[in-house]
Parts: sequence; C-alpha cells; structure tokens
Amino acid sequence: MSTEASEADILRPIHNTSKRYFMMLAACFVAIGIFGALWTYQLYHGLIVTALSDWGSGGGVTWGLYIGAFIWWVGIAHGGIILSAAVRLLGMERYKPVARLAELLTIAGLSVAGLYIIVHMGRPDRMVTSILLNYHETVHTSPLVWDVTVITLYFVMTATYLGLTLRYDIHRLRDQLPDHFGPLYDVMTLGYSEKEDEVIERMVWWLALGIIILAPLLLHGGVIPWLFALIPTMPGWFGAIQGPQFLTIALTSAISGVILVSYAFRKAYDWDHIIDDDLFRGLLLWLGFFALLFLWLQLQQLISGGFAAPTAQELTFESKMSHPAYIIPMVMVFLTLAYIFAQVLRPSLFSKERAVVAGVVVLIATLVEKVYFVVSGLMYPMFGLYRSVPGDYFPSVIEMSSVLGTIGIVTLFFLLVAKVIPVVELHAIEDHGHGDETEVEA
Amino acid sequence: MSTDDSTHTDDPLAALHTDEWEAEMEELLEETDHDTELGIEMAKDAQRLVAGQIDEEEFHAKYHEAVIDEFGVDDRPIDDAIDTVKEAGGDAAAALEAFEDDDGTDRRDAMKKFGVGAAALSLAGWATADAMDDEPQDQAAVAAAQEDDEDDLQWGMVIDLDKCDGCLACVVACEQENGTGDGENWMYVFAYEEEDQDDMNYLVRTCQMCSDAPCEKVCPTTARHTRSSDGLVLTDYDVCIGCRYCQVACPYGVNYFQWGEPETPMDEIDDNHTHDKRGQWVDSRPPRGVMGKCTMCPSRQDGNMGDDMVGTTACEDACSMDAIHFGNMEDPDSDPNQYLEQVREERASANELQDDDADEWADRPDHTASTFRLLEEIGTKPNVVFVGNEPSSDAEQVEGPVSYEDVGQVDNRKEALDDGTFAGGVTE
Repeated sequence: MSTEASEADILRPIHNTSKRYFMMLAACFVAIGIFGALWTYQLYHGLIVTALSDWGSGGGVTWGLYIGAFIWWVGIAHGGIILSAAVRLLGMERYKPVARLAELLTIAGLSVAGLYIIVHMGRPDRMVTSILLNYHETVHTSPLVWDVTVITLYFVMTATYLGLTLRYDIHRLRDQLPDHFGPLYDVMTLGYSEKEDEVIERMVWWLALGIIILAPLLLHGGVIPWLFALIPTMPGWFGAIQGPQFLTIALTSAISGVILVSYAFRKAYDWDHIIDDDLFRGLLLWLGFFALLFLWLQLQQLISGGFAAPTAQELTFESKMSHPAYIIPMVMVFLTLAYIFAQVLRPSLFSKERAVVAGVVVLIATLVEKVYFVVSGLMYPMFGLYRSVPGDYFPSVIEMSSVLGTIGIVTLFFLLVAKVIPVVELHAIEDHGHGDETEVEA
Repeated sequence: MSTDDSTHTDDPLAALHTDEWEAEMEELLEETDHDTELGIEMAKDAQRLVAGQIDEEEFHAKYHEAVIDEFGVDDRPIDDAIDTVKEAGGDAAAALEAFEDDDGTDRRDAMKKFGVGAAALSLAGWATADAMDDEPQDQAAVAAAQEDDEDDLQWGMVIDLDKCDGCLACVVACEQENGTGDGENWMYVFAYEEEDQDDMNYLVRTCQMCSDAPCEKVCPTTARHTRSSDGLVLTDYDVCIGCRYCQVACPYGVNYFQWGEPETPMDEIDDNHTHDKRGQWVDSRPPRGVMGKCTMCPSRQDGNMGDDMVGTTACEDACSMDAIHFGNMEDPDSDPNQYLEQVREERASANELQDDDADEWADRPDHTASTFRLLEEIGTKPNVVFVGNEPSSDAEQVEGPVSYEDVGQVDNRKEALDDGTFAGGVTE
C-alpha cells in the first residue's frame, strides 16, 4: 500500500460525481425497472408466469432459479464479512482497504437474498403473520425457518459491525462530509467519544469472531445447505457433503464479488495506491484455494455417485455427466483454477483485468451450478415412477430478469452508499500513513 | 342401559328384552343402512348364544341366508365376535372387555363398522354384560374407554391394487369433488410395467397421510398440519405462504401448487365443502398461491355433507372395483382393516387348497397376501396400505387402458401451466 493515500482519496467518491456515475445509476434503474415491472406482473397473475411446475406428475420442478439465485446471493454475502472478519482476527492487513466494501457486499447480498424469498412465495403478503406468529412452533423443525433466523442474525451482526466501525471514521471526517447528510451522521455518531475507540475495537473483534464461527458452521456450511441436505428422498441433495460443498461455493463466489467491487472502485476513483495489484493477487490466490476445494468436493460426489450408487443416486450422477448446466460451470471453475495456478508460477500472466474475468467466470459458474443443483435434485427424486420425471425446466424471462434486477439493486446500493460514507476505512490509510497508530490488533 | 335384576325369570335373557332395550336397539340400528328387524332378532339370538342357550352353528345357520340377502356376504366380524366371546370362556362380561380393548370404538361406531350382524352381537354383549354385572364403575370404565377411543382415530386407506383396472373413475371423482384444475391430480393412478412381465400393474396414489409427515415438519408456518382428532394431514389455506417446501419434502409427489387463478371459481364450490369442523379452510382446491393436495375429504368426515358421507371419500365412492377402502386404520374392525384381514384369509385359504401336503411343508407360511406401504423405509409412517406388488425400481409408467385425456383430465400439468408462462413456456 502506498503511503501517499490521504483522507482526500477516500473521500473522493463522496465529493466527485462523474458522468459515468450517472450512467451507471441509470443502468441500475433500468435493470431494476425491468425486474420491477415483471415482478409486478407476477404478483398480478401468480407464479404461473414462471416456468415452474409441480414435480412428479406435474412434469416440472417446484423450485428453480429463484431459489438458486437466493443461495447464490447468500453465498456472495458471506464471504464479504468473512473476509472482513479475517482481516480483524487474523491480521490480514493487506485486505484492509477492501474490508468495508466486503461488509457492504454482505449487507447488499443478504438484502437481495431476502428479497428472493419474497419473490419466490405464492403469498408474500403473509410473510409476517404466518411466519412470525408461528415461529415458536416452526423453529423446532423447519429448515426454512432456521434459514430466516440465521440470515436475520447474520444481517444484524454485520450491520452492527459496520455501524460500530463507521463511528470512528465519521467522527474524524465529519468536517469533510456533506452537510445535507448531517442528521444521519449525527445519529450514527450519537454519544461518540474518543475514549470508546478501544472498547469498540474489542467489541468488533468479538463480533468478528462470532461471524467467523457463525458463517461456516451455521450459515453457508449449515442452514442453507440443510434446506436440501436433510431431504432424504431427493438423492441429488441428501447427504453430509453439502455443508462443506456449499461453503466452498459461497467463498469462491464471495471472493469473486469482492474482486469485482474492488476493481470497480479502484478504477472509478483512481485508487491504484489504495487497492493495489498485490491485493488482487492475494484475492486471486484465495479464489484459487477455494475453487480447488469446490472442485475436490464435487469430485467426491461424482465418485460416490458413479461407482456403485443406489439407482436413484445413479440417475443424478448420469445427469451431472451429461447436463451442460453442470459440466460447463465445472469447466469454468477448473479453467479459472488453472489460470490462477499458472499466474502463480509465471507472475507475468497476472493482470487485474484477468482477475476480474476470473471473478466474472466464477460468479456465472456458481449461479448456474446453484440453479442446476436445485433443479436437478427435484428432477431425480427417489420416487421416480412418474412418466413426467425428470421434468422440464428452463427459467422464464421473468425469472431471469430477477438476476438482472438484483444485480441492479446491489450496484445501486454501492453507488448510493459511496456518496454517504467512506467505503474505505480510515484505518486502512492510517496504518500505512504516518504512524497514527490507533489500531488495536488481537 | 336399563337393567333390573329383580325381574329375573327362568330365562335370564328375558329380563334384557325390555321395550326400552328394543327401542334403543331400534334407534341404533336405524342409524345403519340395514334391516332393523333382522338386527334385533340377531341381537336377541346372539344373547342366547352368549348365554349358551343356542350354539354357534345354529346361530350361523339361522341367519346365514338373511345376512347374505342383506349384505351380499356373510361378514367375518360375526365369526370374530363369536370367537371373542368363546375366547373369553363364554363369559359375556369378559367378552365385553375384550371388545372394549380391541375394537376401540363406541357402540354407534361399532354398529357402522362391524356391519349389522356384529353390531347386534356387540349390543347383545353390552346388554347382557350390563344385566349380569350391574356395577357402576364398569359403566364408568366403558365411558372412559369410549373417550379414549376417540383419540384412536386415524383415517387412512387400504387400496387393493390387484382389483384396480385403471379406469381413472377415482381421478375424475376427486377432481369433481374438489374442483381441482387441469393436471392437479390429487388422486393419481399409475399404469406401469415391470421388466420381464407382460401384464400391466397399477398404483393408486393418494396422499399417504403420514403419521410422521415430512411436509408438516418442514412447513415454516404450521399451515401444513395433522388434524389431531383424526390424523388427516391438511393445509390451512389461510396460513400457507406458498413456499412449496412441503412439496419438496414429500417423498411421493402428492402436492399440487395453485400456480395461477384456480380454474374452479369460489362460487362454484359448495359452502359446506371448504371449512372443516374447526372452522379452518382446508378442503376443496386451494386459492391462488397456496399448496393443495389430497385431503381424504374432511368435509365428509366432519359430517358437513351429511352423516351418510362420514367414513367415505369421493374416490372410494367412485371405485366400482371396490379397490379403495377408507376408514379408521387404528380400528381393527374398520372397513380397511377388515378388508385386509379378509384378503389375507382368502389368499391363505387359496394357498391351502393348492397345498395338500401341508404336513410335509409345515414351515411354509400360508399367509401370502402381499401388502406394503409406499417408501416405508423412509420412516414417514404412511397410513395407506396397498394390497399387491410394490413397483420395483425398474418399473416404468406406461399409457393405461384409459388415458387421462380419455376422461377429460390432464396427466402432465406442465403442459397446461406453460400456457401461463410469461413469454411462453420454454422447454428443453
């Protein structure tokens, strides 16, 4: 990291608004608008406008792209905060400049994942009454309720984490922040005194520890895969491997997400000296590591599904070996891994742009793999006597527009937040600045 | 029960045959669809049988023809009832206890479920017991037993696949009863073939009404629930959020979501066919955005559609092959359980005929009727028992003798749903 980074640098997004910014904003509104209009159409006519159907004699699958994209977004959301927490707990200082971007990605990702739950429902109007009023009963047995619980918990922890760390920055930068957000800053720094810094640091450290424990054990290595892994009659889903498998997919997609966001901010605000090439190299290495685990766990499933598996499981294996929605994502991740390996051996192969391509490739691969996972599970049930099994499914335009719309929402979130708060922590430049040591490392 | 020991005469039973007794008998018997006079006569003689005044053969011979006329068959329960009495050493009070322990029904239910002959006999048993052992605590025990019995109601079915001829009458009847739409096949009949086997097999698939229902377990709202009074697994249409997790978790694929506006508008559904006795909207097709499935007709079971319909389902009524037997699976004397027993006995005796050298093959079981519950190994504890062969993993569904189209139904629902898909259904 360069020692030239200054407060002015990290305030640049707040003070400068380019034409490109407005074009991005407009693009987001178009994306959200398209999805909004189509979702309104869906609300008006019902889920019949999707390409979903009943599994079994119904000839289709009852969960499809909405659920696949839901898992995808939770996965992306994950890594953000894990990365940020790792910076704090393990002292991975190199990633400090992108820690807050990663936290914001978590908030945005979880929000659109929550939106997907609503979009997926037949009666979204009953979400509050039907789920909350029966929570005390359903929390004992329904994996879907566990999901809602843990995602909410995760959201609250992340928001608290972000809120606490922002107090330090906003207080110190208050004079340089726009006055029209004054009331917001006042609320965010309510009762702030410099004496709290040390306490806050300790609180944040514990929160980070909680997040690091919660995410792999409970969220993406827990309740999200359990939605599927606990259903014994869908052989494509059932089994103990889905926990670790989901976690590796979540982390590959999350790191890819961080690479894209970091690259966008670096390019837009000339942050070459803050988010430097080394950071991308590091992120790529992590991406490679998790991609390796991802493929290794897929291989475990292929071996156990293909060697001497029971009939129903064998069908899921055959589907994997022949379906483009499985093969193509695996090849994409493999090629990404190969590139990462190659650029380690031969550093000249590295470039930020290639890192971005790797991120995009992995994000597409994980989305397609997730949708395939959901759909293929329902296509090859244990009770497969139905002539219409395996069913047909190809997402409708409305379903596909939801991906566009949610990417639009997440992008819009970054565009707006970057105008209000510093998206790079003051600590990130202070640590490498002129010895202003306020860092409390664990 | 009216009893008066002081009126004992030479005939101990004469004391029982009071006007009051007859009036009660008549009232109870008239609730059944059968011949009241025959019932009362049988009851009287049954008491004589229990008291040892006539023997079993005499009783059987006297009523055999009349019973055949009335019911078409001379029902097993009579023999079973006699056996029970005999096992109790001819002691009517002990016999009554045996009845109480075993049948788990109150008298009115027993009347309906035993058939009139057995009902008459059990009535006679009660009358006799009351007359001979006039202790108030016994009556209290009977009342308590009756209360317990109410908890032992679990509706379910025995479906004889060997009788099914694939006519799909049950599918049509279910659709008409519930107003379900195209391809929303709450009742579904598979015609399938096995490898190396020429003839066709059937599998009649309703909801399996699992005692440990995975659909209920995963429901995030309690909309999918088991009705405590009778074990029916139902969906509260006012609570369901349409997440479809129940459909995902059900091993059998019995759930059908209401993807769009229901084909049968609400005003075409009878008012007495929507809400159950608890006032919850659980019957007929679900509204838009809500999950539906075979309900085993709670409106019928609750008496909303008349007492005649209690203990029946639309599919059972429509089945001219008598393949579907709906009733209380907890009651050994219910229609489905009696049917199972009858099938087992029939097949056992058929086996016996072929097996002249039973002595030589003494260890060979003569009970060969094949029955199964669907995917029982998953532990869902289904309450539908099938008579016949379970489809193997190689079984392949084929076009049956009557196609869904032939009877105005749709087999693959997606074909109908694709019309509603935005920008058309795109299938691979």
